[in-house]
Amino acid sequence: MAEIAVGIDLGTSNSCVAAARGKQVEVLTNAYGENVTASVVHFAKDGTVVVGNPARAALIHDPHHTVASAKRLIGRYSFSEEVKKARAVYSYEIVDGPGHSVRIKIREEQFSLSEIAAMVLREMKCVAERRLGREVTQAVITVPAYFNDNQRQATKDAGRIAGLEVLRLINEPTAAALAYGFGRGLAQRVAVYDLGGGTFDISILEIGQDVFEVLATCGDTYLGGDDFDDRVIDLLADEFVAKHGVNVRKDPFALEKLKFAAENAKRALSVDEEAEIRIPEIARNEAGEALTLEHTLNVREFSTLVGDLVQRTFKVCDEALAQAGLAPRDLDGVILVGGPTRLPLVREAVEGYFGQPPKTDVDPDEVVAKGAAIHAATLAGGTGEDAFLLDVTPLSLRIGVAGGLAETVIERNTPVPIEQTRSFTTYQDNQESVKIRVYQGESRKADENELLGQFEFGGLHKAPRGQVRIDVTFSINSDGLVNVTARDRDSGREASTTITLSSGLSAQEVDAIVAGKRTDRVATEAGPEAAREAAAATTPEVAGATPPEAAETAAPEPAVLDDADIEALLEADGIADAAAEPNALDPGLDGALASAPPEESLFEEGEFDLSDADTEDPVGSDPQDPVDSDPQDPVGS
Amino acid sequence: MAGVTPAEVRALAGLIDELDYYQLLEIPKDAPTSAVKRAYHAASRRLHPDANRRLAGEERELLEGVARRVCEAYQVLRDGRRRRAYDAQLGAGRGARLQLAEAEARAEREALEHHLGKTPHGRRFFNLARADLDRGDLSAAQRNLRTALTFEPGNHYFKRKLDEVLEAQRSAAQGR
Repeated sequence: MAEIAVGIDLGTSNSCVAAARGKQVEVLTNAYGENVTASVVHFAKDGTVVVGNPARAALIHDPHHTVASAKRLIGRYSFSEEVKKARAVYSYEIVDGPGHSVRIKIREEQFSLSEIAAMVLREMKCVAERRLGREVTQAVITVPAYFNDNQRQATKDAGRIAGLEVLRLINEPTAAALAYGFGRGLAQRVAVYDLGGGTFDISILEIGQDVFEVLATCGDTYLGGDDFDDRVIDLLADEFVAKHGVNVRKDPFALEKLKFAAENAKRALSVDEEAEIRIPEIARNEAGEALTLEHTLNVREFSTLVGDLVQRTFKVCDEALAQAGLAPRDLDGVILVGGPTRLPLVREAVEGYFGQPPKTDVDPDEVVAKGAAIHAATLAGGTGEDAFLLDVTPLSLRIGVAGGLAETVIERNTPVPIEQTRSFTTYQDNQESVKIRVYQGESRKADENELLGQFEFGGLHKAPRGQVRIDVTFSINSDGLVNVTARDRDSGREASTTITLSSGLSAQEVDAIVAGKRTDRVATEAGPEAAREAAAATTPEVAGATPPEAAETAAPEPAVLDDADIEALLEADGIADAAAEPNALDPGLDGALASAPPEESLFEEGEFDLSDADTEDPVGSDPQDPVDSDPQDPVGS
Repeated sequence: MAGVTPAEVRALAGLIDELDYYQLLEIPKDAPTSAVKRAYHAASRRLHPDANRRLAGEERELLEGVARRVCEAYQVLRDGRRRRAYDAQLGAGRGARLQLAEAEARAEREALEHHLGKTPHGRRFFNLARADLDRGDLSAAQRNLRTALTFEPGNHYFKRKLDEVLEAQRSAAQGR
């Protein structure tokens, strides 16, 4: 019998799994008969791990050992804004791991975010296996379109840790469009408005029969339904302080109750005009009397609270439409994805923006998993009918150059798979190596982008500056994952690396985790006994099983100009100094640059040779710079 | 199912550096943008890795390379500005691939060169003029811009800046 590959929508708040058989696409329900399962992981005292609704309930009585919204942290650096915010909002302990990565500390153990995500994926795998009555080993997993390479890698690792062969990572809006248009022979342009628990994506697609071409994707990985809840929480907490002089935010148990109530109130407002919030005995006053929090939240009050968040999504929509070169009226349909899009206030705002009511024949909670399932079936061996997903890279890929700058190598919204090469020269006489730093983002300033990784390319022959030429080739595959190769043009020597997540896990670490079987502790429907056994078997060893620091995960460094750099730049007395200080340009000049590219001069010198000008883009700002990555690093291998 | 045979993949991969983007997408040089899109879709049906799942090993690698080139061709030909640049490059016999990033970086650099001056003296006096403008000293700025223009008489950006300064001086005089 052929393998069944499933599609998994790994969400911030909830996850969903589906399978396609022939033209039938079915959401696989969990043991409670629900279509979605809470993406919450609870670590019980006996070492077992519970995922889903029971874990969600544990948020209230055991918040320190219950991890929710982990997707907001996956693939992030510990110093990022999102992690700072999470430390304030969540009760579980967030600690620093190697290479500025993030770890969750539960009692004496530390877990990477990939492991937490793997526990959710494992639960979804079990849900599918129970429904299908057979083992499931292959899956397509969805990610927000705007996820960067670090976040994608960490998600792919999670799949492996969960015992799944990840056939493909696909973007959530693309999956939704596939579910909407598959097998219908459509010729339409559609927008997918995807407001999830923690992220917002907008994709503009053109569907031409069996081809689903993404024209543009934009997003905000810091905006989602969780933020709506936070506004409600703030309102309730502030009101409570004003009324009773007690700050409930300080008590983790009270805070969790508040979060729970806020989320439920939000959901209620999807159907009702108002929601009653009542939390008895949430706190005690100085006299020791139990206090009750009460509030009636109506639609209008809620709209005022979150109106600006909804408007923020349309700024992103403007950007995506501009990138696609389209206006809202050019679209044949608008598809809504994600729980928060059930809110009438969101639907109305979307209708107002696009000038047409959104499609009502798709379920915003299930459409992503269904699309993933369709693609999984195609990849696993055929539904008899193929669909081609022609996706784009959501973020520009950049390389770090002298002066703390990052130059674009592959622009955002370029179709993938793609490959581009750029040539660089050495910056100093007799420079023996260059450091290649790879970034993703839209800023010319290196440190305003996400560092994907870096490696040292050494063994260059001694020559005056500018004489050694290095070709750096960037490629992005169909999963949206990045690979970088450097080549010395004279010697033909090459070094390449799949950019390993700087803040995440190395391949060896993933192997160690898979071998450590910590995720087996998940108490699945299959058998709580097995989970307890696994817990007993794995818990004591955990300290030792925690993978060693991966030397190759290099610490990201803020792009600081050292004095030598600055002097060299000034000496060059050329364009370099102006380019290094974009702020030195007056705004009029910046505007002129953006609006009037001198296209006629693009090719007048025949070759894209950087070494002929005094404006070289050297890689490796300082060859004496001690390398902070492992010398065994991919370089030279 | 769509797709190509292993032999076709090998042939295509061997030929790919000879083919220009039009040949790769099998369209005439004057094809409108809508035809470029249709050709990209058609090429994807044949050459997308998902359409060729039975290919493995080396042939799969080769196919991935071809698929990347198809995307590259589409990325250039669907955009009017890039396409004109590419056509100029083809016409001059300078290769069938357009390295976009290189080309755009060069354009940016040339734009900067254009704006900030091509000669050391031109740059120096232009920078002095900018500093004058920051201080609000219009007559000094006018002098320095004129000097900059003696080194680079053809710099339109310098000229435009000078015109702006002259205009500002006129309106300042009228205001008085």
